[in-house]
Amino acid sequence: MARAEHDMTTPPLDIDALRAEFPVLARTVHDKPLVYLDSAATAQRPQCVIDATTRFYSEYNANVHRGVHQLSVEASEAFEAAREKVRAGLNAKSEREIVFTRGATEAINLVAQAWARPRLEPGDEIIVSTMEHHSNIVPWQLVCEQTGAVLKPAPINERGELLLDELEALITERTRLIGLVHVSNALGTINPVERVCAMARERGIVTVIDGCQALPHVHVDVQTLGCDFYAFSAHKMYGPTGIGALYGREPLLEAMPPWQGGGEMILRVSFEETTYNELPHKFEAGTPNIAGAIGMGAAFDFLDRIGIDPIAAHEQDLLTYATDRMQAIDGLRILGTAANKGPVISFIVDGAHANDIGTIVDHFGVALRTGHHCAMPVMQFFGVPATARVSFGCYTTRGEIDTFLDALERARTMLA
Amino acid sequence: MALVELYQQVILDHNRTPRNRRELPAATHRARGLDALCGDDLIVELTVEDGRIEDAGWHGEACAVTTASASMLTEWLRGRSVDGLANDAARFRALLEDPEHPDDGEFNEINCLRAVSKFPSRVRNALLPWETALDAVSPRR
Repeated sequence: MARAEHDMTTPPLDIDALRAEFPVLARTVHDKPLVYLDSAATAQRPQCVIDATTRFYSEYNANVHRGVHQLSVEASEAFEAAREKVRAGLNAKSEREIVFTRGATEAINLVAQAWARPRLEPGDEIIVSTMEHHSNIVPWQLVCEQTGAVLKPAPINERGELLLDELEALITERTRLIGLVHVSNALGTINPVERVCAMARERGIVTVIDGCQALPHVHVDVQTLGCDFYAFSAHKMYGPTGIGALYGREPLLEAMPPWQGGGEMILRVSFEETTYNELPHKFEAGTPNIAGAIGMGAAFDFLDRIGIDPIAAHEQDLLTYATDRMQAIDGLRILGTAANKGPVISFIVDGAHANDIGTIVDHFGVALRTGHHCAMPVMQFFGVPATARVSFGCYTTRGEIDTFLDALERARTMLA
Repeated sequence: MALVELYQQVILDHNRTPRNRRELPAATHRARGLDALCGDDLIVELTVEDGRIEDAGWHGEACAVTTASASMLTEWLRGRSVDGLANDAARFRALLEDPEHPDDGEFNEINCLRAVSKFPSRVRNALLPWETALDAVSPRR
């Protein structure tokens, strides 16, 4: 949902109380209070997520769906309760549509190998936007190598916005799939996913949405978006690393073959014939990341308790504040100035390489990201080798942005 | 503090006015050094005669550490033997791995790049020009 649609009466966050939930925020870096402006790479975890994970190990650690003993029952219940939390968080119709994965990358690879690979033929076409993360480019390049299909990039403008008319013009009768990032990690752009999905659906084209950066910042409702697949990682939304999920519309998942074989994904195995398990277990071979899934469920509970609306309102205030101040700095250029943006600011500074900025501000306690942000085609589009990037979370404050700007000024002075 | 050591005057001076930042049309050896993660992308060019480096130059986009390292390296390389370069690079690497490493008598101001040893994520930047020079003289390394 766009920022303009936020309820303006949303009560503000109690930032002090919220920050107190994140133990790492109390630490210092190089004797300075940590200013963590790298939430788009990975967010910090609140105590409730850490506790949910630890409780599994210390109180009811057991394998899931395997045993009749009490611990296994408790673990299986918590694991499936987490799946229900994900379903509710995305407003999927059924838990059968939620497949646990290692993260968004594995989720997209699952679609590439189990949906696209068996179906695509030489000359079929896949479209992805120029602003995709490598995780929504490379799996499709692999499928293209395997099937003879062709990958076509959809262009963006100088503000970092997807050009819808150009995207539509790229669609042909051979287009089978469109991959699109919901919120760009490199530029912050919030894409018009609903419109792209409608465009695709009319033509029978399957849509794969990378929602990593969306879930911690905007409302996500897969039925309203109208996508076929939606992939995300829990660690961007205050959950653990190594866990995420793929939402897939049930008829599509049902028609797909398993992509990894092993335990859990079968009903019956013999050397003559193996029967696969039902959805979603068909796609969950092996013992899963049980603690991770439970922690991910706790992260959905956390977002639910704090509320996406107040979080989004807070983050948009930070984005506007930081953008205004940064635009006033001589020789600083922000890459990604879309009208509809998440709390991410990528920038370059004349005479100061991103790497040096990153090292210098780190010594003032400020953690920011430098490099290509796993979106090298974006860097190529803007003609830069790398950018520095600050990204905000629910716990970020204006005071932290001030600290960052002071540190940035020190870096500029030092390197001048 | 370590930060001041890393961004000390010598390194900043080489970053502001890099030496030998030019193309060598007559180069006999050339290699590209790429660190996509950091955004460093440079070309090192050498003119070698009878196993001796007569001229060295570099150009490209790089951070202050890589720039200073490339600048100092290309100054230092002139007159050196190609055969000794692998050994020189190994000595340079040893310097970067240990903050207590004594100055290398032959390296002159290059010794100041030892400051990166306190910044593990930046060691690769100081090394990149050296590795690129090695690639130039032994492309199948």
